[in-house]
Amino acid sequence: MPRFLLLCGLFTLFLAASCEPDAPICENCPEEETDAPITGPANPTAYTLEVPSYLPRPIVDETNPLTVEGIELGRRLFYDRIMGRDSAFSCADCHKQELAFTDGLPKAVGVSGRTGRRSAMSIVNMAFNPNGFNWDGRDGKLWEQAVHPVEDMLEMDEDWEAVLIRLRRSRDYPQRFRAAFGIGRTSEITQELAVKAIAQFEMTIIAADSHFDRVVYRNTEFFTEEEQLGADSLFFIEDVPVGALHPGCGHCHNAPTFGDNRFRNNGLDNVSSLEDFEDIGFGAVSGSRFDNGKFRTPTLRNIALTAPYMHDGRFNTLEEVLDHYASGGHGVENEDPNITGFPLSERQKTALLAFLRSLTDESLPTDPRFSSPF
Amino acid sequence: MKYALYLPLFILLFALGCDDDDVLSTQEVDFPISFRAEFGGTPLAIQSADYAYPTGADLKIQLFQYYVSDLELLPAGGGDPVQLSDIELIRWMSATEAATTTRTFQAPIGDYVGLRFGVGVSPDLNAQDPSNFAADFVLNENEFWGPSTRYVFAKIEANADLENDGTFDTPLTYHLGSDALYTTVTFNRTFTLDGTQDPDFTIVADVLKALADDTDSFDIANPDQQRIHGGNQAIATDLWNRLADQFSLETR
Ligand code: HEC
Ligand code: HEC
Repeated sequence: MPRFLLLCGLFTLFLAASCEPDAPICENCPEEETDAPITGPANPTAYTLEVPSYLPRPIVDETNPLTVEGIELGRRLFYDRIMGRDSAFSCADCHKQELAFTDGLPKAVGVSGRTGRRSAMSIVNMAFNPNGFNWDGRDGKLWEQAVHPVEDMLEMDEDWEAVLIRLRRSRDYPQRFRAAFGIGRTSEITQELAVKAIAQFEMTIIAADSHFDRVVYRNTEFFTEEEQLGADSLFFIEDVPVGALHPGCGHCHNAPTFGDNRFRNNGLDNVSSLEDFEDIGFGAVSGSRFDNGKFRTPTLRNIALTAPYMHDGRFNTLEEVLDHYASGGHGVENEDPNITGFPLSERQKTALLAFLRSLTDESLPTDPRFSSPF
Repeated sequence: MKYALYLPLFILLFALGCDDDDVLSTQEVDFPISFRAEFGGTPLAIQSADYAYPTGADLKIQLFQYYVSDLELLPAGGGDPVQLSDIELIRWMSATEAATTTRTFQAPIGDYVGLRFGVGVSPDLNAQDPSNFAADFVLNENEFWGPSTRYVFAKIEANADLENDGTFDTPLTYHLGSDALYTTVTFNRTFTLDGTQDPDFTIVADVLKALADDTDSFDIANPDQQRIHGGNQAIATDLWNRLADQFSLETR
């Protein structure tokens, strides 16, 4: 019996020890500090996400209604390094506004220069994705997604408890959480509220004012001859001659959101069996080997700003991307049948590139609504 | 003590309220309808099965989908058809999906003589742009060619091994649809819905029957017949007609 007790004691100690954050934030601070009453306004203002009529209606997340105060709080949290290890890393360090919220790197680099396994994704037009977030769709809701970067060793590598303590003790955040969620005490600042605020901000980042939009939907500009060729006879699929091998980008990247968010193998890897993909992608989420090597089709809006390309950043330029698609896949059994390979003359290549560059929303990189509040 | 009087009244009111609901809800029943995909008479397995094609090739099916518009029950003794749904997208695209998928509709109790639906997107809805709907609605840009060619009514996608060398390196993509191809399918069946002995309906579609029959198989080795997209529905008509003709209804 004493032996058993000892074991229990040891086990409890072990549990307690393993819960301890790497570097205790404030060992001797009094308890109350993280449970103080908060005063100030507590009536969040409902916010309706307006998107241009030519985009689909946004998908409303009933578990996280948008409010003016929630969005503003989320924007601060997104840009605040208080969210990362030792208050030294923010979401925006990998999702930079000037690069349409990507980082310009093949694979993301987190705390202490650690390289992650995938390329940072652009955070625009999140409101139109019904299929889960990240390259493999593993997070069903946008706010669930925001939990992971904070604690991911290769990203912000911080303990949520430590983040919450910092938020609860901050001078400014308790009022902001109260304004956004109506809470009354600092102890009510939770991970869930923090990530919901971040997701509210992310939902508002809409990119819809590119040259393409101004030509096709707003009728205020014209395509160049090159862009027109790229659009009509190469990118879109309304008018594909019988039997022709055609770029067919529109099968998976159709307007107006330019990414179908479905999980597909677009022919990147020449593997000899479905088990051999370096990153199995959606296969890890669905649990089926037949989904190995499939990734979510991302948007091509702002694609000229978001190099390098693909889930692992393997292509540095859009020229390389086109060469890949033109060469067709590798005959791997789960490759998407819309990947066929196709002839592409220099003139056609230039045209397709011109079209892809017309998808950049030039106002996005500097839009003050999405920029750092600090 | 006065309150003692109100209490039973209140309970009575409450109970009556519930009764009302019951009366309403017994007029409608949940009516599940199943959709099964097959290949040559066996339940369709996406990606995981090798299927023999009559011309000698092997196929791995990657995708099979079709829209069902205006799914309706035909009441006995005439009268307006009862609409169960204006649009459904029936789709198999993953090895993790079963060959049978079930949707549950609300239907009034009563006697019926048939079930009817349109294969494809009804002309009314086909005139609506995807931007009129939420991004997660079944009518969306990913099933839409463009402003003049509109929605893709049905898709069959497969990878074929034409040479029987074990590599499935010939992609086949048949994307079909246009207002002219919209087809109504009617099954005459006498049945009663009362919530007790409702029939189990399964609407069956066979991918192989859309591509081939005993005498005539779509030539998938011909490069001109490996892809059908957009405005080019000329060679699609044959495929489409076979697809729309082969629906069957299983009743249990
Ligand atoms: C170290 C760099 C890094 C940091 C820091 C980072 N991210 Fe990311 N982000 C990535 C990478 C890499 C992916 C793709 C992950 C994957 O597919 O596995 C990604 C994906 C996303 C996506 C998915 C977008 C989509 O279309 O599915 C969202 C949203 C996102 N990040 C938000 C955030 C938020 C919010 C934070 C801060 C809490 C954050 N990120 C911090 C690198 C980073
Ligand atoms: C079969 C569907 C499909 C077709 C057709 C297709 N793509 Fe893609 N595309 C994808 C998928 C899936 C990804 C993500 C793949 C990955 O990262 O593993 C992708 C990624 C991309 C990317 C990288 C995006 C980023 O953020 O890194 C670019 C650029 C791109 N595609 C352009 C094109 C162009 C141009 C065409 C036409 C020549 C095209 N795609 C045709 C499915 C498709």
